Amino acid sequence: MLLKKERLNDILTDMAKQARVYVPVSPDANDGGGVGKSGKAKMTRFELYSPGTAPNFDLVNTTMPPKDMLFPQTQKMYRYGFDTEGNAYIDIIHDSDEVVIFGMRSCDARSIECMDDVFLSMGYDDEFYKQRREKLATVAIGCASVAETCFCDSMGLDPNAAPGADVQLSPGVDGQSYVVVAQSEKGQALVASWQPYLEDSTAETTQVSCALKVNGDGLKDKLEQMFDHPIWEQLSKKCLTCGTCTYVCPTCHCFDISQENKMKDGERFRCWDSCMFSAYSEMAGNHNPRPTKMPRVRQRFMHKLCFFEDRYGKTLCVGCGRCVEKCPVALDITMLIDDIQAADLSKAEEVA
Amino acid sequence: MSVVNDTQAAASTGTETFEPKILAFACHWCTYSGADLAGLNRMSYPANVRVLRVPCSGRVNPQYILTALNKGVDGVLVCGCHPGDCHYVSGNYYAKRRLMAFRRMLQYTGLEPERFQVRWISGSEAGKFRDTVTSVVEQVRELGPYKPDPALAALIDSSVDASNPVLPEGGEA
Amino acid sequence: MTAIQESIQKRAAELLESGEVTQVIAWTNGRFTNQTSPLFIQNAADAGKIVFNEYCVNTLAKYVLNEKIAGKVGVCVRGCEARGINRMIADNQLKREEVYLLGIPCEGMKDRETGEALDKCLTCTHKNPVVYDELLGAEVTDTVSEEIDKVRFAQIEAIEGMSREERLEYFNNVFNSCIRCYACREVCPVCTCRECFVDQLRAGWQGKQNNLNENRFYNLIRVFHIGDRCVECGECARACPMGLPLMELNRKWIRDLDELFAAGEEGLSDELDNTLGRYKTDDIEEFM
Repeated sequence: MLLKKERLNDILTDMAKQARVYVPVSPDANDGGGVGKSGKAKMTRFELYSPGTAPNFDLVNTTMPPKDMLFPQTQKMYRYGFDTEGNAYIDIIHDSDEVVIFGMRSCDARSIECMDDVFLSMGYDDEFYKQRREKLATVAIGCASVAETCFCDSMGLDPNAAPGADVQLSPGVDGQSYVVVAQSEKGQALVASWQPYLEDSTAETTQVSCALKVNGDGLKDKLEQMFDHPIWEQLSKKCLTCGTCTYVCPTCHCFDISQENKMKDGERFRCWDSCMFSAYSEMAGNHNPRPTKMPRVRQRFMHKLCFFEDRYGKTLCVGCGRCVEKCPVALDITMLIDDIQAADLSKAEEVA
Repeated sequence: MSVVNDTQAAASTGTETFEPKILAFACHWCTYSGADLAGLNRMSYPANVRVLRVPCSGRVNPQYILTALNKGVDGVLVCGCHPGDCHYVSGNYYAKRRLMAFRRMLQYTGLEPERFQVRWISGSEAGKFRDTVTSVVEQVRELGPYKPDPALAALIDSSVDASNPVLPEGGEA
Repeated sequence: MTAIQESIQKRAAELLESGEVTQVIAWTNGRFTNQTSPLFIQNAADAGKIVFNEYCVNTLAKYVLNEKIAGKVGVCVRGCEARGINRMIADNQLKREEVYLLGIPCEGMKDRETGEALDKCLTCTHKNPVVYDELLGAEVTDTVSEEIDKVRFAQIEAIEGMSREERLEYFNNVFNSCIRCYACREVCPVCTCRECFVDQLRAGWQGKQNNLNENRFYNLIRVFHIGDRCVECGECARACPMGLPLMELNRKWIRDLDELFAAGEEGLSDELDNTLGRYKTDDIEEFM
């Protein structure tokens, strides 16, 4: 099946009648602004499509990942309190809209697989995540170009194909069309609904690979022996312990549950938390097992590259390069991997 | 002080007339006595104001002002002793500098200047207290409810499934 | 630039060798073209890693607080770092003898992506370090202060010229885009509280939700806490992953305090003299 680029808007408009459709948008395209004019951030993200929105499918990567649609930065869970007759109540907050994320990259599609592992496997289903996940369909677009910070093919992904997505669009070499392949039942239903806009032909598709290569061989096994390695002290020195890397990361999924009360009513919500913050690991009585930046930095990278693989059999880094791009002090995970690979294991034994 | 949540506030702005809620921070040594004197003299002023006694106007942290606005108050008034009269010698001088700058900042980021005001009112100025409160209430009534972000208010409650209330086990029936 | 880089490398090696300092904080190359990153070296042999070019965008001052625990720290200081160091000494976070300052005159840094001068450098009023132990390289001339002030406050004046509704919308957009990663706080040489009001969870100042009200609260209180001490290094705005114009908030305070109370620039000396921490009985009156 072949989809001409000029039919994209028809498809999006059609879909937007039945579901909330999110597309990558750069602020310049929508309001001609950017900082200094509208106050809007100089960043790109997935935004709700409505006729008139100008999606930008040429963005290599959005600044903010699409995880917000499944796992919002703030998610209200339930409301509680006493009604006028003095009876206690709890209202669970459901989100029942169908959602389509249109135009995600292979890295984003893989990140959803990682989050599925966390929230929907090992015998426990997260109700709030599950609800959103079941209503979600994903349309991946193969990368026509890569950013200098992209390294997904070193993390075992393919920038041209996202097997986890419901529909895969692969850009044709002519730059005018996409080859459409449905990869799941949901995907088949979606593609069926696009039928009027599709052509029954095919085209040659672009094939790209990342310029940035990282050697991930044996990384997990090596890291397992490096918990006490002195290298962490040195690697963490420049970290500011801000939450940028964790908030722009498509796979970081830690959250904190909290509540706000007003008079006789309150609501409970969960919001993103970051292992870089001191409050993240603080316990009752003010004890903090990770009081300084070294253990926090170590935790973040060990989780990404070692602990998660132990538990779920894949690394938690999808190589999207967002943290590499956005870290204010250029604490670069690819350089960290290089440093780990170059580290001398005998030093860890000395300390241990 | 009664704080109404956003939804209730939204519900109350339909056909009924809008009654603003004003939070007044009053310094214990001057303004609070002034307010007391206004009461003794049976002066009447709008009941929209909730007076919160603080030891000194210097105690009023700008965080209080923003928190009050966030929690549903429509206007904030801070009152203290006249410069030179502070019970703690200098508290109101510090407050003056801080609040002058903070007030400019709030206006810079889009707050109506009437919603946050500061006045020096001594223990004997019952009439000034009455006049100040009356004028702040009238000004804020004119402006309407404090809603810096209408979109946010609309989002709240947008997706509650009220048909599925779950009672906690062993909770009140 | 190359001459300065060589002098830093040479002096860093000498200082580490002689035991005068336990480590030196400077810059090194990142992975990508024209990318640099902060560098911490403890051995004279590593001095060759030090890089100084026109892309050294990180202001290093804040790192000193963490690193001084291990012993005296040598740190490269330009105008922005030097003022940050002064500020931390004034705030009792640091003692002058805990740092060895390698002064570097600086003509301004460039953004690696656009190749244009950084915003924070366009408004720099002190290109030479205001405090140092030794100066590597010849002093450069500062832009005339009237001219720089036009640039410094241009955006503030533009915003003040807008209507209230426009300003509200403008800052709603700013605060809405904030993800509250707190990079602005962590990178700021003035934000030195052991426990930030944000982390005082029991007091509950800062709600954990990410919404406009909470984001506005955070940003306005952040700027209230640092406004009268801001050394205008501009790191908050540079570090912001969302590219928010945070200096437009800081500079509003700076200019208001200057106009109202003749505050002057901060961080030029290590004496404690906060505008909001002192008063005059004849201060301008507007609350009568």
